[in-house]
Amino acid sequence: MTLASVPAAPRKRVRRHMPDYVPWLLISPSVILLLALIAFPLLFALKNSFYFWNLQMGPTPLGFVGFDNYKMALQGGFFLGALWNTILLTVVGTAVEFTLGLMIALLLARQLKGMNVARALLIMPTTIAPIVVGFLFRYMYDPGGGLIPWLLTSVGIPIPAQGLLGSSTTALWAVLFADVWQWTPFFAIVLYAGLLSIPDDILEAARLDRTPPLALLWHIKLPLIKKTALIVVMLRFMQLFNTFDLIVVLTKGGPGSSTRTLGYTLYQAGMVDFNIGLSSAMTWMMVIIVNAIIGLFVFFAFRDWD
Amino acid sequence: MDQTEKLPSKVFAYAMVVVLLLVFIGPIVWFVLLAIRPTATAFSMPPVLFFEPTWDAIRYTFVDPGNNRPQLFNSVIVAAGAVLLNLPFSFPAAYALSRYKIRGRKNIMLWYLGLLMAPPVAFLIPYSILASSVGLKGTYFSMILICQTLTIPFSVWLMRSFIDEVPVEIEEAARVDGASTAAIMLRIVLPLVRPGIIVTSMFAFVFSWNNAAFPLVLANRGTTTLPIGTLQYFGTAGVTWGFIAVAAVAAMIPPMLIFLALDRYVVRGLTFGSVKG
Repeated sequence: MTLASVPAAPRKRVRRHMPDYVPWLLISPSVILLLALIAFPLLFALKNSFYFWNLQMGPTPLGFVGFDNYKMALQGGFFLGALWNTILLTVVGTAVEFTLGLMIALLLARQLKGMNVARALLIMPTTIAPIVVGFLFRYMYDPGGGLIPWLLTSVGIPIPAQGLLGSSTTALWAVLFADVWQWTPFFAIVLYAGLLSIPDDILEAARLDRTPPLALLWHIKLPLIKKTALIVVMLRFMQLFNTFDLIVVLTKGGPGSSTRTLGYTLYQAGMVDFNIGLSSAMTWMMVIIVNAIIGLFVFFAFRDWD
Repeated sequence: MDQTEKLPSKVFAYAMVVVLLLVFIGPIVWFVLLAIRPTATAFSMPPVLFFEPTWDAIRYTFVDPGNNRPQLFNSVIVAAGAVLLNLPFSFPAAYALSRYKIRGRKNIMLWYLGLLMAPPVAFLIPYSILASSVGLKGTYFSMILICQTLTIPFSVWLMRSFIDEVPVEIEEAARVDGASTAAIMLRIVLPLVRPGIIVTSMFAFVFSWNNAAFPLVLANRGTTTLPIGTLQYFGTAGVTWGFIAVAAVAAMIPPMLIFLALDRYVVRGLTFGSVKG
């Protein structure tokens, strides 16, 4: 790594003489700005979570209520129901997107002629804003002539009379499908890059050994792209866990509470019902859950990093 | 590998690619068609593939009265503003995190990453109330400022991966010659990583452009961005699908073009520089 013109010894000395505060001077503006942008709202929410405050009744909190907002959130499965929907959406969504994405990545990795064009086009759903994907799928799901109900009925699959988004048995899966459509290409493209980085000689050796394709995938390819896979799973898992703009457009949490995710529940309590206290209490409950999951992921994904 | 593959296997692979493109690109094309479709055919079953295109929806949304035109402009202001404001914060941080082996470096990087995975919705209600109380609600600045919670951590991560690739020897030679850290960072490293900074900025632009959460609660009628403006077509007197499609397609185009232009960096951008495509 050393250039011939720069001997090793003086370089070390230069390093040692560099003042310690310089890197912190460079990093701190961003950290201070971000801390301010996060700490203010979170502390504000923490305070509000102990007050009764409904914006429809007054512009300021109406009184200290202790843990009542937290109790209210936990009553009748209001919070837990939303948490369950969120977990279902997140776990199934990440698993389906990863599996489909990996299959597409393996197909692309055959590098047949013209597949580069297909790869460049395939990422397009991922580039679209989730809220716009919501518009697209509201059109596609429309019970009065949308493409998806039409396709399903023409192959003999019955559609609920209220439409796929209007029935509480199908709505969450319809939301999930829109998300799978948008993010499967993300997994496909990133895992494809991971597969390409596997050294050729390893694959060549496996081929000479006549390793069966599934064993090749499971014992050789997947372990070699583990790090990449863990990173994409982590990013997507958290985005799915935070899902809310897709719900705003597609279902508004309905019908009933069948698609009420954690994110949408906070939003609804605060911006639709104007119950700032309740919304703030749930904000803190969500923040704690999210932090715990991020902590776990980061621990496993970045344990031996840097 | 090509030659050893048997023909049926190849045919099957191409057939799968066609199916994939139909599934993943088909809906986008279908939505683009909705933007130029006569209203009568929007929901006809079986679907109508061929029709006389009409430009009425485009004219209504972007020319006369053109309600979406200022929203397009707002989207550009907010996304470009968020990128420009982020650079003086993220570039020095990325440089320091690439070059100095300080204690806690890993934790700082992971903290930025954690912010990118935090739920934006958790901040919406406090931001909305706090922004009104300081008189910033409805301003471009409030949206640009709050967007920094996304653009700064994203840019630090992605830019650092580009700075890591610039050999450190040039800087050390300059340091021996007595150059200051500021001079090295701005006169030597900045020009060398300019392509990386442009790539980072373009992805950060897409990131802010596609963010709907902050404008949803911070924008007012005059400053609302294109996707949020489009949401208003789902209002009272029936849904006007043609208008929605035009506005939504307009919101789709810039990110798509940027991704096509940055094709070789897409994997890197989507994984914040942690996977080199």
